Amino acid sequence: MAEIGLRGLTKRFGEVTAVSGLTLEAASGELVALLGPSGCGKTTTLRMVAGFETPTAGRITLGDRDVTGEAPEHRNCGMVFQHYALFPHLTVAQNVAFGLQMRRVPRADSERRVAAILDKVGLGGLGRRLPRELSGGQQQRTALARALVINPSVLLLDEPLANLDAKLREEMRFYIRSLQREFGITTLYVTHDQAEALVLADRVAVLMDGVLRQFDAPEEIYHRPRSAAVAAFIGLTNLLPGTVVSRAGEAMVVDTPAGRVRGRGVPDLAPGARAMLSIRPEHIDLGGEAADGANRLRGVVVERTFLGAITDVRVQVGDGLVLRVQGRATAPQRGGERVTVSFPDDAAWAVPADA
Amino acid sequence: MAGAARHLLLAPAAVLLLGFFVLPYLNMLVISVMTPSPTAAYLHVFTLRNYAAIVGDAFTWGVIWHTIQIGVLTTAIALAVSYPLAYHLARAPRRRKGLLMALVISPLLVGVLIRTYGWMILLQDTGLINQARAALGLRPLALMYNDLGVLIGLVHVFIPFMVLAITGPIQGIDPELELAARSLGAGFWRTFWRVTFPLSMPGVVAGTILVFVLTISSYVIPSLLGGFKVLTVPILVIRTITELFNWPGGSAFAILFFVITIAVLWAYLRALGRAAHPGS
Repeated sequence: MAEIGLRGLTKRFGEVTAVSGLTLEAASGELVALLGPSGCGKTTTLRMVAGFETPTAGRITLGDRDVTGEAPEHRNCGMVFQHYALFPHLTVAQNVAFGLQMRRVPRADSERRVAAILDKVGLGGLGRRLPRELSGGQQQRTALARALVINPSVLLLDEPLANLDAKLREEMRFYIRSLQREFGITTLYVTHDQAEALVLADRVAVLMDGVLRQFDAPEEIYHRPRSAAVAAFIGLTNLLPGTVVSRAGEAMVVDTPAGRVRGRGVPDLAPGARAMLSIRPEHIDLGGEAADGANRLRGVVVERTFLGAITDVRVQVGDGLVLRVQGRATAPQRGGERVTVSFPDDAAWAVPADA
Repeated sequence: MAGAARHLLLAPAAVLLLGFFVLPYLNMLVISVMTPSPTAAYLHVFTLRNYAAIVGDAFTWGVIWHTIQIGVLTTAIALAVSYPLAYHLARAPRRRKGLLMALVISPLLVGVLIRTYGWMILLQDTGLINQARAALGLRPLALMYNDLGVLIGLVHVFIPFMVLAITGPIQGIDPELELAARSLGAGFWRTFWRVTFPLSMPGVVAGTILVFVLTISSYVIPSLLGGFKVLTVPILVIRTITELFNWPGGSAFAILFFVITIAVLWAYLRALGRAAHPGS
């Protein structure tokens, strides 16, 4: 049974449609990431689930309850805000106890639960501090504790890591994931950071301009995007335009200005259709010693950039067509050098050209 | 050097306060212990009899008590009217905020005398309101020359001060804090009392103290709308000095009331501090 269900959810602000006909569900215990560029409607969606915005159309269900018209205080959602929204006049312990007081939990019981959750998030002993006396990471964990202590039916996270520095953000990703698993709580996670979504989520919902573009497991989103827009948004990729020549099941042959390429692609591409081939830089090899059956394109090295663990080489394979190739480059290529780039059939993924 | 320059910034305000506030008060303190005289402003003879006379007089304590009552009532009513207004202002879109703010301040654009005469036209026994009531066959109401008239006039003029004092602090409250409280299970009113109101306290404290102090020291409104039937400390002090020519007596009364005012404010702040940190 879906723990969070959104059906045909739509929100208009005057002339602007922020969210349009969004339908998705999260199963019990699942973590679903709402991913998209800023202004795509992901935060508006989260605020509708929390009850802060009223949908223009559509239904929201939590478990078997239709909560579409319900006030936020009756939804039992644990919400973590981007800027944490800790009550500045209350101590850490009072912040965490707030939701329990609103539920009229007896004082002794409340104190025990607050202490337990503060220990759990590693803030034991900091209960008497004020929020402003905490570091960013500690404030973040206080916000998580405050949301979790009420045993919410769902957890809603709005860009929870956006205000932390890069190193802490990396740590907190895994921390939030393990905490979410441990509590087994169904979670909606809003982020614009695709790496965060891929690491954390069981399924990722990619939103663009208020429309759900794809809702799939991270591997599917990454390796088998449904559209050029999703392919371009998730990770780094090369997009090579072309025309479908033939197809057999998922396998297809595409003619590009750089040559004929064998790959795979979305089911609705028929021969003759204009397509866009997405080839990830890390799947392309430089030099000719690739395995048999691999695609080979000839090109000229334009630029080579050392990135530490990997090297990024830009290879021009056609008029105005530059492929980025990333890997542990053994032979240092120089600008102007003629090279062959190769990639296996399953590294080229075709999507409709304009969608 | 930078430190010295920074202290220099205090000079204009310090000179002003010293010359027009501290020194006159000290002068009044001196006069209050001199001996009254029918032939001069006062005689240079030290006495504590002025204070003894006031402290021993039940009438003056009645006036002090009444003044404080009017002060507390005016402040409470102004706060009750101003808070929702200030909240609306603080959360209004910027363009509408400017217009609303101009409207809130508009009572201050008219001088106190003209504004008070305006109220008299409305409130007096044969004023607009009572004429309208008579036309409808209703009994006339005593709206003036009593506490009610004084309260109406005072609340009207002090609402802008209260609104201005409270709007800023409310504007500083992140609206997400209210949403956080809601999502944690607090309804509208509990969110207000547990989050919004406590966080707006700096504005409430500033506004209430400002309005209270202005009210208990106001003279024109209580005299015109109270018609000298409502006695407050400022009215009595000025009468003592200008009608009874008793400078020392009036000064002693003013000094005593100054001390009482400080004591009231101190008790108020202490009570608020207790309410904010129970148990400490």
